Amino acid sequence: MTDTTTATVDNAPAPGTPLLQASNVVMRFGGLTAVNDVSLTVNSGEIIGLIGPNGAGKTTFFNCLTGLYVPTEGTVTYQGKTLPPKPHKVTQAGMARTFQNIRLFHNMTVLENVLVGRHTRTKEGLISAILRGPGYRREEAESRAKAMEYLDFVGLANKAGTLARNLPYGEQRKLEVARALASEPGLLLLDEPTAGMNPQETRATEELVFAVRDRGVAVLVIEHDMRFIFNLCDRVAVLVQGQKLVEGDAATVQGDERVVAAYLGTPYEGNADSTTPEENQ
Amino acid sequence: MHELPQNLVNGLLLGATYGLIAVGYTIVYGIVQLINFAHGEIFMTGAFGALSVYLGLGSGTSMWIAIPLMLIGAIVTSTVIAVLTERLAYRPLRNAPRLAPLITAIGVSITLQQLVWGFYPSAKSPRVFPSLPGGPFHIGGVLIQSADIFVVVAAVISTLFLAYFVRSTRTGRAMQATAQDPDTAKLMGINTDRVIVIAFALGAGFAGIAGVAWGLRYGEIKFDMGFLTGLYAFTAAVLGGIGNIYGAMLGGLVLGLVQNLTAIYIADIPGMSQFSSQSWSSVWAFVILILVLMVRPQGLLGERVADRA
Amino acid sequence: MTDTLQIRPEAAAAPKPAIPLPTAAARAVTAAGAVLTAAAAFLSWTYSSQFPGDLTVTGYPGGLQWITFTGGLLTLLYLLVGYGTPGLRGLAPGGAEGTTVILAVGAAATTWFTLIAISVELGGLANLTTGGWIAGIASLLAVVGALGLPRDGQHPRGHGLGVLLYPGKRPDLRPARPLHAAVEVVAVLLTLAAALGVFAYGVDTSYPELFAGFLILAGFAAWALNRSGDFGRLGEIMQRHRVLASVGAFVAAGLFPFTQTSSNAEANANLGVSILIFAATALGLNIVVGLAGLLDLGYVAFLGVGAYTAALVSGAAGTAFNVQIPFWAAALLGAAVSGIFGVLLGAPTLRVRGDYLAIVTLGFGEIFRIVVQNLDGTSGPNVTNGAIGISNVPDLNIFGFDFGSAHDFGPFSIGRFANYFELMLLFTAIIVLVFARSADSRIGRAWVAIREDETAATAMGINGFRFKLLAFALGATLAGLAGTVFVHVNYSIVPDTFQFAGPTPPNSAFLLAAVVIGGMGTVSGPLVGASLFFLLQAKLSFLHDYQLLLFGITLILFMRFRPEGIIPNRRRQLEFHESQTEGGQEGPTPELRTAEA
Repeated sequence: MTDTTTATVDNAPAPGTPLLQASNVVMRFGGLTAVNDVSLTVNSGEIIGLIGPNGAGKTTFFNCLTGLYVPTEGTVTYQGKTLPPKPHKVTQAGMARTFQNIRLFHNMTVLENVLVGRHTRTKEGLISAILRGPGYRREEAESRAKAMEYLDFVGLANKAGTLARNLPYGEQRKLEVARALASEPGLLLLDEPTAGMNPQETRATEELVFAVRDRGVAVLVIEHDMRFIFNLCDRVAVLVQGQKLVEGDAATVQGDERVVAAYLGTPYEGNADSTTPEENQ
Repeated sequence: MHELPQNLVNGLLLGATYGLIAVGYTIVYGIVQLINFAHGEIFMTGAFGALSVYLGLGSGTSMWIAIPLMLIGAIVTSTVIAVLTERLAYRPLRNAPRLAPLITAIGVSITLQQLVWGFYPSAKSPRVFPSLPGGPFHIGGVLIQSADIFVVVAAVISTLFLAYFVRSTRTGRAMQATAQDPDTAKLMGINTDRVIVIAFALGAGFAGIAGVAWGLRYGEIKFDMGFLTGLYAFTAAVLGGIGNIYGAMLGGLVLGLVQNLTAIYIADIPGMSQFSSQSWSSVWAFVILILVLMVRPQGLLGERVADRA
Repeated sequence: MTDTLQIRPEAAAAPKPAIPLPTAAARAVTAAGAVLTAAAAFLSWTYSSQFPGDLTVTGYPGGLQWITFTGGLLTLLYLLVGYGTPGLRGLAPGGAEGTTVILAVGAAATTWFTLIAISVELGGLANLTTGGWIAGIASLLAVVGALGLPRDGQHPRGHGLGVLLYPGKRPDLRPARPLHAAVEVVAVLLTLAAALGVFAYGVDTSYPELFAGFLILAGFAAWALNRSGDFGRLGEIMQRHRVLASVGAFVAAGLFPFTQTSSNAEANANLGVSILIFAATALGLNIVVGLAGLLDLGYVAFLGVGAYTAALVSGAAGTAFNVQIPFWAAALLGAAVSGIFGVLLGAPTLRVRGDYLAIVTLGFGEIFRIVVQNLDGTSGPNVTNGAIGISNVPDLNIFGFDFGSAHDFGPFSIGRFANYFELMLLFTAIIVLVFARSADSRIGRAWVAIREDETAATAMGINGFRFKLLAFALGATLAGLAGTVFVHVNYSIVPDTFQFAGPTPPNSAFLLAAVVIGGMGTVSGPLVGASLFFLLQAKLSFLHDYQLLLFGITLILFMRFRPEGIIPNRRRQLEFHESQTEGGQEGPTPELRTAEA
């Protein structure tokens, strides 16, 4: 985590202003309501956690935010503007994401992966790529420099030439973060960033998330790992059976007995919606 | 416009044949997401298998005895070839990038065509196929050949059989499960390799029947008859909603109707009279495919496949 | 040589030679065999001069004997490298023994091919003279000796290819220290000259036996040079002198017509220009298939669109519009019209599942042919003159340079096809440039990202549809461009040229095979693949009836055993063999699955 001078990103507003606002989001699949009337606000400079038992609708809600699903009801705005329901436009707008089951471009090098992340912040087209004028060269050089900077930030600068698939698991996760950061987001969405990690790697991820926040990027993280979430987040929202059960700081959430019940389970409950579409991925 | 009833009937008959072939595309695609380009050639080999049986029977045999034997010959030929190609060409590529099996399928298609062209006796030019006795019948101004009755009976029985098989047999349910989620199906103890072979075999059986139907209706078969017909049948499968077996039948019927009806109705559109001949019908079928992809990409009976994160 | 410590777990210790001989004896036997083989090329092999190339003269080798001679010498050369001859040591960084085995087998294969061809064509073994028998036995002797040499290289266990793996795989080479710049430049130039020489020889082979013999030895030699690590080293050097290598390659290619001085010069130049058109089109297809991962099965139709467009504005008699515009404008128009067709076809199709594109393009390829056939004045309005096609397309005349007649350059006379060869070479250079530069740019990275994982690419802000459409339209445009030259070279154009599969190129299946078998995503792959395919079908005319059959089988076998093609893309190779490389991800996503996402 070398400190880099470009601590804040261009499109990150002053801390404390609302960045992402999801209001009364409902997502139905046929007769099944996977997400029911969930509202959530992420302010700039915050790290927000979203937890819930399996099948609670976390990923569905996440997909509503990232443009993969169009919510049946409710609105999602980013910096006051309604998010277009297209994933690539969401990224363009300033929200970047990682995937629960790592989705790198396996047969591209580490550097190329991050360069793909630069896509929305570069604009040279086919003609200029073929002609290779000074503008193109400048942008390409700048892009490479920035990409290396992000690799340096996550600690992968020395692996720039390696194929992504040859990285060990933990480093693949880091590369996903670097790739997402390369699009210079104001908000980074992390989908279970510590899945499959050992305690040490989880610690390192924690530090990485704090470092990301210190660059001025707000973070919304979905997780199962309670300790990780409570160490990390300014606020935590708990989703159970598609509804937001409680939202507050770590202490509030930990103290809420409904949360305990939802996690430890009461007999004959909590399994009812275990067939939400998110299970199918 | 007294031609209309006749054209409707012809369209439906052609469509039923497409449907029989389309079922093979749709089953295989539903389970392994592979467009089996060689399926048109499976249909063609079925027709040649039937012809071989007929030639082996000698000329004195009654068609009532020959037809069942020819059907068996067609089904066996198609199935054996389809299962062999699955085993030798596709299965080793199960986990390869998706272009690999598609390209292999093209290779299989060309190979089968050329094998028949080069090694089946005098198959370099069209071979005469036997015809059914009886007929033609006039029903309400519509001329119906006995081969047409064969097509209708074959299509109806096949569809009913398939519906029964998929819904009510253990293997059929295993197929549905594998189509939904192969990994989970495997975990549930389903032998997915076996299911895939059965999918290929089933599709090939129908293609074999279609091969006989084709031969009976048109009176001759040719080594390259599977190429365009296969293309139309695939279009029918997409039209009906790929992965849906009833869709395949429906798509076939619609496509057959389109090809026959454009021939008479395009001419009524001012300035389009030149585009009504039979040689344009394949163009209109193609236009329909493009339109369907634009307006309803999931097909007539297909379900919307949600993007998966 | 016998490392017991193997780093790669799947590579067992090098196994014993197939024939237990003391190493010194094995070397001696190989050397004797190789020298004798080369020497026997100077003997008479048959009594009758009926066999093409006249192999009856003692003291002066003819046709196929030169091939045997070369094979013997190459075997000897790498044997000496393995022996540690000073000055040669650097020639086989990947191990000389395995290389020697391959070359010895290659020399024996061409020799025996010749002997068998003589016996078959002239009717019996009695047609072989003592000289022929000496050559055959000597070449086998070299193989026996080579099989007694110690084995180097890597020998992965449990592979299905059996005997093909006897020479072992080349060990991974560490990058070598750069040589002196002048030496490297000379190496680049020599390589290019050698490539030109081999290509020119292959094109000039005037009878099928000679071409087949040439191809057998060339195939074994290419395998051997890959095994020896020479190709790898040369690749590194080329990479360091990229500009020199690419400019040099085009200069070398431009010199090709000047190497053709025999009476076949024009026919060979015709072959050359056809190869270039075919190769340039394949390279355009490589953008679509190799980079963006879209399967286009009707690609030849875009060549056809360009060709018909150019023909219609060429002033050829019998076309619908009696206009003639300058060629540069016709070329741009052809490319543009083709690109528009690409967009029209891609726009509705590329939004849906990728597999559909394959079938829609296949349909388009057929429909194009049918439509062009129907636009004859009877079945439709007369635009293309139907099945008869457009003939008498006039020769080009650019800046007063008449492409239709021969021109003298010093001692060289450059004929009609050679003129077009140089023009098409220019077009090919443009297409290579477009391919290479777009591949290595923001655009190319977006294409590869889509190919790898479209969902992830979209999440990175890439508009998947737009970029797929761009790749598809660009591919169509380049094919259209190639088509504009195609029609002028061939004087005429008929719809039947543009089939999905047929015995003669260009057709969509051949183009796809050139890309796939040459090597997807590379520049040189389609060029090599296209040359090989074109020469094969042009030279081995006796196979005409079985060409498509062999072709289909080749496709299947390549996908099964070498899906990355002859010239693998670094990425591609890893992708296809992920299960075999240790440390690869468990690969839970059979990429079939990405197709539906």
